[in-house]
Amino acid sequence: MNFDFNEDQNIIKEAAQKFLSKECTSDLVRAMVEDEKGYTPELWQGMAELGWMGLLVPEEYDGFGGNFVDLMVLLGEMGYSALPGPFFSTVILGGLPLQEAGSDAQKADILPGLASGERIMTLAWIEEDGLFTPEAVKLSAAPEGEGYVLSGTKLFVPNANVADTMVCVARTGEGETDLSLFIADAMSTGLNITPLITMAGDKQCEVKFDKVMVPKNSIIGELNQGWPILKRIQLMAAVAKCAEMMGGARKAFELVLPWTKERVQFDRPIGSFQAIQHHCANMFTYLDTLTYMTYKASWLIAAGKPFEKEASMCKAYVSDSYRKLVALGHQVMGGIAFMEEHDLGIYFKRAKAAELFLGDADFHREMVAQEMRL
Amino acid sequence: MDFEFSPEEQKVIDDVRAFIKAEVTPELLEESLAIGYCYGGKLGRQFFQKFATNGWLVPNWPEEYGGLGASAMLTFAIREEIAYNRLPGAFVAAHMAGPTIMHVGSEEMKKEWLLPIARGEVEFALGYTEPQAGSDLSNVQLKAMDKGDHFLLNGQKTFNTHSHVADYHWLICRTDPESKKHRGMSMMIVNLKSPGITIRPMITLAGWQTNEVYYDDVTVPKKNLVGEQNRGFYYLMAALDYERMFPGGSYRRLFDDIVEYARKTIVGGKPLSKNPLVRQKLAQLAIDIETSTLLFYSLAGILDKGEIPNYQTSMQKIFTTELGQRITETGMEVLGLYSQLKKGSKWAALAGKVEHYHRWSIVETIYAGTNEVQRNIIAHRGLGLPAR
Repeated sequence: MNFDFNEDQNIIKEAAQKFLSKECTSDLVRAMVEDEKGYTPELWQGMAELGWMGLLVPEEYDGFGGNFVDLMVLLGEMGYSALPGPFFSTVILGGLPLQEAGSDAQKADILPGLASGERIMTLAWIEEDGLFTPEAVKLSAAPEGEGYVLSGTKLFVPNANVADTMVCVARTGEGETDLSLFIADAMSTGLNITPLITMAGDKQCEVKFDKVMVPKNSIIGELNQGWPILKRIQLMAAVAKCAEMMGGARKAFELVLPWTKERVQFDRPIGSFQAIQHHCANMFTYLDTLTYMTYKASWLIAAGKPFEKEASMCKAYVSDSYRKLVALGHQVMGGIAFMEEHDLGIYFKRAKAAELFLGDADFHREMVAQEMRL
Repeated sequence: MDFEFSPEEQKVIDDVRAFIKAEVTPELLEESLAIGYCYGGKLGRQFFQKFATNGWLVPNWPEEYGGLGASAMLTFAIREEIAYNRLPGAFVAAHMAGPTIMHVGSEEMKKEWLLPIARGEVEFALGYTEPQAGSDLSNVQLKAMDKGDHFLLNGQKTFNTHSHVADYHWLICRTDPESKKHRGMSMMIVNLKSPGITIRPMITLAGWQTNEVYYDDVTVPKKNLVGEQNRGFYYLMAALDYERMFPGGSYRRLFDDIVEYARKTIVGGKPLSKNPLVRQKLAQLAIDIETSTLLFYSLAGILDKGEIPNYQTSMQKIFTTELGQRITETGMEVLGLYSQLKKGSKWAALAGKVEHYHRWSIVETIYAGTNEVQRNIIAHRGLGLPAR
């Protein structure tokens, strides 16, 4: 066993730290909450020049052919800086379904543009029930002429307001899991996008499909075979989200720890009190353990091994632990981090958004229970 | 990054499992449980002396001292197997005293003790705690007077769990009565059969025995002094860094038993394991066990890089022992009313194991440095927080 990054991963980490500490300040993060698009084209272009969107894309499609641990390292730094914008939705939610299940033609059509940063993507999955079950997908895809007509409403679609291309989960049959994945152009007639106003200020949208035409060759994989692909993507993306959370948790801890050495009450730094020391020891434990859980699940994916159980374990553990870490951080900080101007609040909100994303701890514990054959 | 054992490590782990499967008897397990997994019982000694012929008792020791020169990773994995199989897993000589002798003992002392320890032929009892020196271990008072060619010992130890089954006491005592606290303490090896030693049993809530040990004019030869005189406290503290670990195996095993019980037990017409609340709780424990396992092997990873764990051992101790308590608590909840029935009772579930471990688990967060002390260590050593 080896818990360390390799040389390439250390380079990715250092480059990301260098770039993001300069380009992704908390001022920018705050500005992007107010910004309509939620990202700046300059920052996006800078990331593209560093090759980040193509990190996971195979070399034959103009990417770098990196593995999932490489991606984890990068996402960790993005989480640390609370990077706003459509990187995750593009590379993970849009790119992974294509990489995992797309045809050669689909990959050749889409991945090079994704890798270069020219194409922004997302995944339109969740509907009104707010559940991750196949039966909750009601948006219909009806065959018509040389294609399909998509009708229905998607919710919580990340960054749909700036996406060029969406992967849309649609019902194509009566059976519970008769679902198919379609590639849809965001400019299609009948497609209507409304941003939702979220706690963390991230851009999640309602996307209405009002008789949106998509061609037959826009199905990813086979007709009615979308569910297994989606489940796999859900777990991979959940682990990727954990990588972001891992970086966010580290940043939250770093925001709190120096304060315990500076802040004096009763003529002593508050960090000399055991009550504070034990809160900090517990935060540190959350940080180390959620990091190892993320490493292991990411490594399993990268190594091509079965990862279903560990991915759900990871998402459940990291979701709970990040939230608890930040909560302890608030307690240690006292009133000062309750102020909007303190950055800890950014991570408080991000932790909750990430926890809810692609299944919270309750959801993933149930997945673990199923994997345990309970 | 890699989260599998190397093929060489896996081969040894498989051999260890096969050996355990072939050699463990119900009588051995009963003895092991009755003495709280301490090494030193008759059957335990028979088993482990055979086990040790493979070098498995101290795999990471150099070959000249009876080890295999193997990785810490393999050493940790074998310890976890021992714990999972409910065998005596608490070795004071092999896992606590031995490494200190190797680091600070004289050549003569190494020759005298290391090979017999590696072969499982001798066992020590930990002689640290005294009535007034619990968490504050630097307040040890047991007096060792320098009498030229020997020391003369007087005083009292308490909660010395191994001492009725071990051969020697791994004793911390005060050799300089003038000194303050940790400065005047020495480590020595004392034959527990020495005249003047009285051992009084104290029975724990877990049913096994710990002891008070009284020293009344006990003579200890100078050659049994470990390292330098008055340096004992530092050796003791350093030993905490070398290869301390807390295998969670016995509680992991209990968890597996509870899961099996939940699958097989029909309540209200369906298996307990189909109850959503039970599923959530068991899944959470499985997740925590995975986390605990990663923390455990991350310690080995640090050692195998040639580094010394700093706060990480404390973190692993806290996490694993608190998880042990959560496992028994959840087990009691899952078994419901039946959880209170003891072994031997009519209607007892899982042969009363859950209630037994539930009682046992109380001590997990107390022994070997309370979890509060461990959190202090994390804060001071890991995070650099000020002492005052």
